[in-house]
Amino acid sequence: MNKKAQNLLMVIPMAILLFGLSALCLLKKETAYSEDERRVLASRPELTADSLLSGSFMTQFEDYAGDQFPFRDSFRSAKAFSALHLFHQKDNNGYYAKHGYASRLEYPVNTKMLDHAAERFQYLYNTYLEDKDVKLYFSIVPDKNCFLAGTNGYLSMDYSALVSYMQEKTSYMEYVDLFPLLSLENYYRTDTHWRQETLIPAADRLAEAMGTTLSHDYETVTVEEPFYGVYCGQSALPLKPDTLRFLTNDLLNNSIVTDWDTGSPKNSFMYDPKAALGRDPYELFLSGSSALLTIENPSGPVDRELIVFRDSFGSSLVPLLVSGYSKITLVDIRYIRSDLLDQFLSFDNQDILFLYSTLLLNNSLALK
Amino acid sequence: MVFSSLPFLYYFLPAALILYFAVPGFLKNGALLLISLAFYGWGEPKYVLLMVFTILSGYFFGLIIEKYRGRQASRLFLLFSVIVHAGILLYFKYADFFIENFNAVTGLSMPLLRLSLPVGISFYTFQVLSYTIDVYRGDTCAQKNPVALAAYVSMFPQLIAGPIVRYSTIAEQLKSRRHTLEKLASGIRRFVLGLGKKILLANTLGELCSLFRESGDSSVLFVWIYAVSFTLQIYFDFSGYSDMAIGLGRIFGFEFPENFNYPYLSASISEFWRRWHISLGTWFRDYIYIPLGGNRVSFAKWLRNLLVVWFLTGFWHGASWNFIVWGLYFAALLMIEKLWNTHRYPKFPKAVCHILVLFFVMIGFVIFDAASLPEAFRLIGAMFGSGSLPIWSAEALYYMKSYLFLFLIAAIGATPLPARLAAKLRSTKRGQWSFPFLEPLFLGILLLVMTGYLVDGSFNPFLYFRF
Repeated sequence: MNKKAQNLLMVIPMAILLFGLSALCLLKKETAYSEDERRVLASRPELTADSLLSGSFMTQFEDYAGDQFPFRDSFRSAKAFSALHLFHQKDNNGYYAKHGYASRLEYPVNTKMLDHAAERFQYLYNTYLEDKDVKLYFSIVPDKNCFLAGTNGYLSMDYSALVSYMQEKTSYMEYVDLFPLLSLENYYRTDTHWRQETLIPAADRLAEAMGTTLSHDYETVTVEEPFYGVYCGQSALPLKPDTLRFLTNDLLNNSIVTDWDTGSPKNSFMYDPKAALGRDPYELFLSGSSALLTIENPSGPVDRELIVFRDSFGSSLVPLLVSGYSKITLVDIRYIRSDLLDQFLSFDNQDILFLYSTLLLNNSLALK
Repeated sequence: MVFSSLPFLYYFLPAALILYFAVPGFLKNGALLLISLAFYGWGEPKYVLLMVFTILSGYFFGLIIEKYRGRQASRLFLLFSVIVHAGILLYFKYADFFIENFNAVTGLSMPLLRLSLPVGISFYTFQVLSYTIDVYRGDTCAQKNPVALAAYVSMFPQLIAGPIVRYSTIAEQLKSRRHTLEKLASGIRRFVLGLGKKILLANTLGELCSLFRESGDSSVLFVWIYAVSFTLQIYFDFSGYSDMAIGLGRIFGFEFPENFNYPYLSASISEFWRRWHISLGTWFRDYIYIPLGGNRVSFAKWLRNLLVVWFLTGFWHGASWNFIVWGLYFAALLMIEKLWNTHRYPKFPKAVCHILVLFFVMIGFVIFDAASLPEAFRLIGAMFGSGSLPIWSAEALYYMKSYLFLFLIAAIGATPLPARLAAKLRSTKRGQWSFPFLEPLFLGILLLVMTGYLVDGSFNPFLYFRF
């Protein structure tokens, strides 16, 4: 082959690639939201003299170029594939998959974050609970890495150190250990959370510690739509979807769920089927994040009330505790300031459960 | 704007190519100037005026120095030129360093200027300086066409991270240059490979360095992993950028000088500096070291010359004491090396020399990368077990395993082996007919994978971006 033909073979395909992708960048219709990453994508910035001179146009354009790139998810997958299989890196941006389970490295134990969480719990205790007729319980939910990372050669934080540290800082509460009851199978393969249909032993353990009994005559309902958990998009790894199931019965159906997020009561759902089809299907459980939520169980034991300070792991577990109480209040102090709680809650003659995952405790800045 | 970014690759570059190749030959320098100013203005809109001032002053100084060449006035105007251009560099890059140290010595609290550093100022200032010096020496004629000179100074492929292209190198090419299919193909090949060095190797190694810096779980092993990683990162970062610059230069019809020649193969420190950032080394040699007398002087003067050049080389890299110490560290190594050779002390086997050079260069880059001098000393101490660090940690072992393959690729990539292997394959009978198809296919896939890296993350700083 002569030199000219060789050069043409180099120049023409590369030019087609460069100018083709460039044309696609210009012609592609903007996408407002990334389902995979669960975030709003940058849109084309407005070109003005001010934005040009200040440089803000350029900064925003760089975000826009990345967010709106054609076949963005495929390119991200190509990168993940290259990192894991070409360069044999153990993780891609901290995400890894093993035995079909995906997760994100959580390492090491961050004592500053644990201190912040403990300080917020101490504040709640000192402000509302110290001299009240309440019983205090604390339970930590291990994240998936506890069962996936260390055993497969990934960085794994010292969970027993984390638990000991938090126990020491919250000695005013009775600690309920859920770790021995859990294993990898309790978690979704593609999501951070645990699977409600596997949590009956954990619920029983909490109920036992708190001196109540639960009934478990549940019907298991399977959501038909596949569940692509949060790691599907974030990791850009090829993952098979999970199946979303929930446990229900008449007692749960007859319970009254009220959302106080806006300050005034609004009927809500124990299980929200619309949410299961939405951006975050895990919001099926108690409609997702909410600052303040109450569940009233008309057939529950009279005068047995539970207040749960919780994160999103509580959303799927708490329905399993409903049969043991006449009223359960769920408080998420990521969305409501702790000093405002007495405007909505009175603390008297209740069980108080602090139920937090290791993920949140180790990244606790959101606790207010 | 950096080359390894989506806005550059898929917005700026295609538009620049269309504009450049659409205009007739006599307008190409004008088009290149326009493209370069847009490129520069993208990152530093307010400093475009500074660049225009530098170009215009360089242009007028060039003309006037040439007019009075051979007379005292020429020397005077050269002095003015050096004062103006070095003054600009000193003001924008070093003012706060001097104020900080003045405050530290006197106990005063003179306010800092807190100027943002104009991108590429060290490179384009040196180019203008070399231009006026070359005109003064008669090595080149002053450029009469301001557009051509402006196109040279602002030329975007080498504007922000070199190589430092001397005016005399491309004076003829500014006047007339050929745009051939061969140059285009070779430029594309060089650019994509450089982009690969930067995105796939340097950036990924940079992530490991960041993980080390952010880690609260340090160990002797982790410090070594960091030191090796940064040593490889800075090579692939900078040589990758130089490759891209040379590749782009070819696409636009220019031939830029090589800036790297497998420096990690060196068997001596002086050889290392003949292979590393060649354009900077030769600039200091030709404009500082040799005018000071070079090595054909007394031992004391040679020592002075060495210290001056390496002080300036270090200081050129950044307004911080660790850069100065980094430069002087190499001065000391070169001095020891020279004395060792002069006194005919026993020679080490070549393999030992290679290892020693790599070790001393790595220590140098630890100083280079440290946030401060005490931090540099702490890290170097930690490499040898000071600070009661454990020998290894879970984190260090994990990242060593995770990045092991990348280290191997990078180590091999820092040698001529891949190029030799490609040449050998190409020369075989099967290679002769398959290479023309496989090479563009490989480069195309490489470009797509790199696009994936760019789409995936925003971790993309050029280490030499601010020099």
